[in-house]
Amino acid sequence: MNHDSSDPRREGEGAPYAIEMRNITKVFPGIVANDNITLQLRRGEIHALLGENGAGKSTLMSVLFGLYQPESGEIYKDGVRVTIQNPNDANALGIGMVHQHFKLVDVFTVLDNIILGVEPNTLGFLRKKAAREKVLRLSETYGLNVDPDALVEDITVGMQQRTEILKMLYRDNEILIFDEPTAALTPQEIGELMQIIKGLAAEGKSILFISHKLNEIMEIADRCTVLRKGRYIGTVNICETTKEELSNMMVGRDVKFSVDKSVPKPGKTVLEVRDLSVKSRLHKKNAVSNVSLTVRAGEIVCIAGIDGNGQSEFVSALTGLEKPEPGSRILIDGEDVTKKSIRYRNTHGLSHIPEDRHKHGLILDYTLEQNIVLQRYFEEEFQHGGFIRFDRVRDYSEMLIEKFDVRSGQGPATIARSMSGGNQQKAIIARELDRYHSLLVAVQPTRGLDVGAIEFVHREIVASRDAGAAVLLVSLELDEVMNLSDRILVMYEGEITGELDPHTTTVQEIGLYMAGARRQNPEKGGGAA
Amino acid sequence: MKNSVPPSQAGVLKNASARSILAALICILGGLVVGFLVLLLLTVFAEDISVAEAFSGIVIVLGGPFSGGSAQDILFQMGNMLFQSTPLILTGLSVALAFNTGLFNIGAAGQYLMGAMGALLVSLSIPTTVVPAAIVWILALLAGTLLGVLWGAIPGFFKARFSVNEVIVCIMTNWIAANIVSWVFKSTGDRFINVAETKVNFIRKTASNGVATATLGLDKLFAGSYMDISLFIAILIAVVLYVILNRTTFGYELKACGYNKFASRYAGMNEQRNIILSMALAGGLAACGAAFWCLNGAQDFKWDTYLTLPADGFNGIPVALLASNNPIGVIFSAIFLKHITVGGSNLAAQTSFNEYVSPLIIAVIIYFSSFSKLIKDLLLRRMTKAQHATPAQPADPPPAAGPDKGAADEDAKTKEE
Repeated sequence: MNHDSSDPRREGEGAPYAIEMRNITKVFPGIVANDNITLQLRRGEIHALLGENGAGKSTLMSVLFGLYQPESGEIYKDGVRVTIQNPNDANALGIGMVHQHFKLVDVFTVLDNIILGVEPNTLGFLRKKAAREKVLRLSETYGLNVDPDALVEDITVGMQQRTEILKMLYRDNEILIFDEPTAALTPQEIGELMQIIKGLAAEGKSILFISHKLNEIMEIADRCTVLRKGRYIGTVNICETTKEELSNMMVGRDVKFSVDKSVPKPGKTVLEVRDLSVKSRLHKKNAVSNVSLTVRAGEIVCIAGIDGNGQSEFVSALTGLEKPEPGSRILIDGEDVTKKSIRYRNTHGLSHIPEDRHKHGLILDYTLEQNIVLQRYFEEEFQHGGFIRFDRVRDYSEMLIEKFDVRSGQGPATIARSMSGGNQQKAIIARELDRYHSLLVAVQPTRGLDVGAIEFVHREIVASRDAGAAVLLVSLELDEVMNLSDRILVMYEGEITGELDPHTTTVQEIGLYMAGARRQNPEKGGGAA
Repeated sequence: MKNSVPPSQAGVLKNASARSILAALICILGGLVVGFLVLLLLTVFAEDISVAEAFSGIVIVLGGPFSGGSAQDILFQMGNMLFQSTPLILTGLSVALAFNTGLFNIGAAGQYLMGAMGALLVSLSIPTTVVPAAIVWILALLAGTLLGVLWGAIPGFFKARFSVNEVIVCIMTNWIAANIVSWVFKSTGDRFINVAETKVNFIRKTASNGVATATLGLDKLFAGSYMDISLFIAILIAVVLYVILNRTTFGYELKACGYNKFASRYAGMNEQRNIILSMALAGGLAACGAAFWCLNGAQDFKWDTYLTLPADGFNGIPVALLASNNPIGVIFSAIFLKHITVGGSNLAAQTSFNEYVSPLIIAVIIYFSSFSKLIKDLLLRRMTKAQHATPAQPADPPPAAGPDKGAADEDAKTKEE
């Protein structure tokens, strides 16, 4: 580990750090969230903070932002010791943060949001002209490309994020913290953001980039500090390290990025979709138009595509959450289920890992065990004469928790809301995979998970395939698509525009299909094996 | 370490129902304190009342029937209080059930009126000379309840089918019920069931033909009062509702839809059916309360025409809130509200405070009871802090602490947001 090794490309030895957090320890009851952690941010560098969920990244940033007071340790800015009692102190020191969930007023314009809290005024009357000029100037300097008069609710997630960046710049912040900034972005928006961050660093801003996505860190950061279970593991120069070393530091063991899987042995057709169309809620065109595809037992078919190209609507129609247009046909195990209820599909072979685990996947105020039987509570095994057999629910949950290593404070009786995101997802996956299923529909099954959990989910999905299930995977992550699938279908503007073989295609080629720059003209019923 | 709470107290707060009970008690206490201040303020402005009377006044209110005087009076007031609790328990259950499904049943008043009408029409129009009174009683109870079921199903249907907010439909059905019932009483009043219409209200001595709820000697124990067995039936209904909500697949579905209708749909539950069922049952409960009131046999059904709605319908809301929507809790919160209501009338009877003061004090306490959710959240936060204040482990956590770590960090994250 090259802890504190100097970087010749930057300032010389001895120059004070823009921010130095020295030997920070923060203790919560029963847990040491930060154990003697040191973080040194140089002026003008992009410094990544890497760690799994629960490694202590957020706690450390909360200390820097004045939300927590550490038990011990000091913070220095430009070599001068400072105390940060609250976020206002942090702001005064030029520390700004883009939170993972944006803090914008939806019905205000971009400009109003930027000046919120520091409104320029004369005797209480707003004077926005100077503010607008400053915003436009900043927007141009850093290539942010934001319309100051647009309402926040009308602009894309990427633009909202750039509004947050402008907020920091408008306040003349020098130290910019990005908390998991790419979680909500499309691949292109991620690319744009990377350019913007590089531009900011080139202009002399010091940047802390919190992430658990190794590819992004490798691409953008100069140095990287790794935390694991509240402890400082080390700081490395990105140009001298590899993805494998970083992940080893983060997880504490070697992580496989490629999924171990055998050659698929496709069997009979399990899912057959014919001419499926779904109306759009946003525009007059169909969100999904005339999609036909088949998935056979023992294979993983992946639908790739940029978010918002009809994948969500397609899955909604497939699983019964939304009604498809007349003429659409969905067959599971040869049976037409187009007009069947969700319950019927669930009990006749369909398992569904939903896209949004909080909206669809879980009842957050129910306990873990109540969530585990969400689609089975009415089965003979779990009820008798309308009364739920709680002892059996408990036994079954304990078995699944053990088998899938779902961690929580109070075991089966834990309220789902209090569990970490990764363990919530594990609970859903346990539930869906342990149910009888001939077809598994998994939508973004690893969203927001760290590498250790991703490895686990991928292994389980492959295991489900090998047990003879047909798997339809919908993913926005190209790595996942390349690693996991046996066949790739690309969805663009509600249509399947190409079928690719993951062994022969490249990420670049898929990208062209995803962007609509290329399309195959599949035969009618294209996508069939 | 600041905010350190003794571990035993933190332990009590850990239990969700203990938190609810404590929150309810705090609300009641807050209401009493403000009520006392109101009395105190009045003594300042009213020349004929001494400051000391403010104190004795609040004691009288809190004493309920026990501030009634002689043992005989106490028993009499107690009997009436318990009888009057019956409809309030049932409207409280009605609101609580709907809340459990994520619905706000503000239509209990209308459902109550429909229940009263159904029960009165059947009990008074079937001659007890032909049909035994006990049978008529059962038929009347069923008729009233059924009418409430239908009336409650209307907002449920509009909510489920057309996504119309149930509060709006409930308010409309309340007034529609008031007018329908007025019209029926007016048109059938004299010749059929003989509801007398005075200038200000409809009055009907409900027992003119021997149809009455069994008393099993309770009327003798609480001599002179209206006490009958309806209270015990209401308690039984509360227990059954508790079991349904917490032990059955039906209750599991109702609550699931209340917590998260999207996830319920995903899981294959029929969310629309559950909304209609929940509202229909809630309507039935409120109407059943009215039926018990009307079928007492000795009780006047008194109602101030189509311009008003019965208070017990709305008071079901604070009753449910005070009980944190727990059916068992509703029994106690309803009896408590009636308890201080009796205390309020004693206040007017025994002190120089006039009859307008007691409803004011009651209103203050009811108002405070709607803060129970807020207090509960505060208690929860205090509990979390108390947990944080327990001694931390040495800097080297054992491996078993791994899972909690995520939770602590998640907690930190939530606070940050």
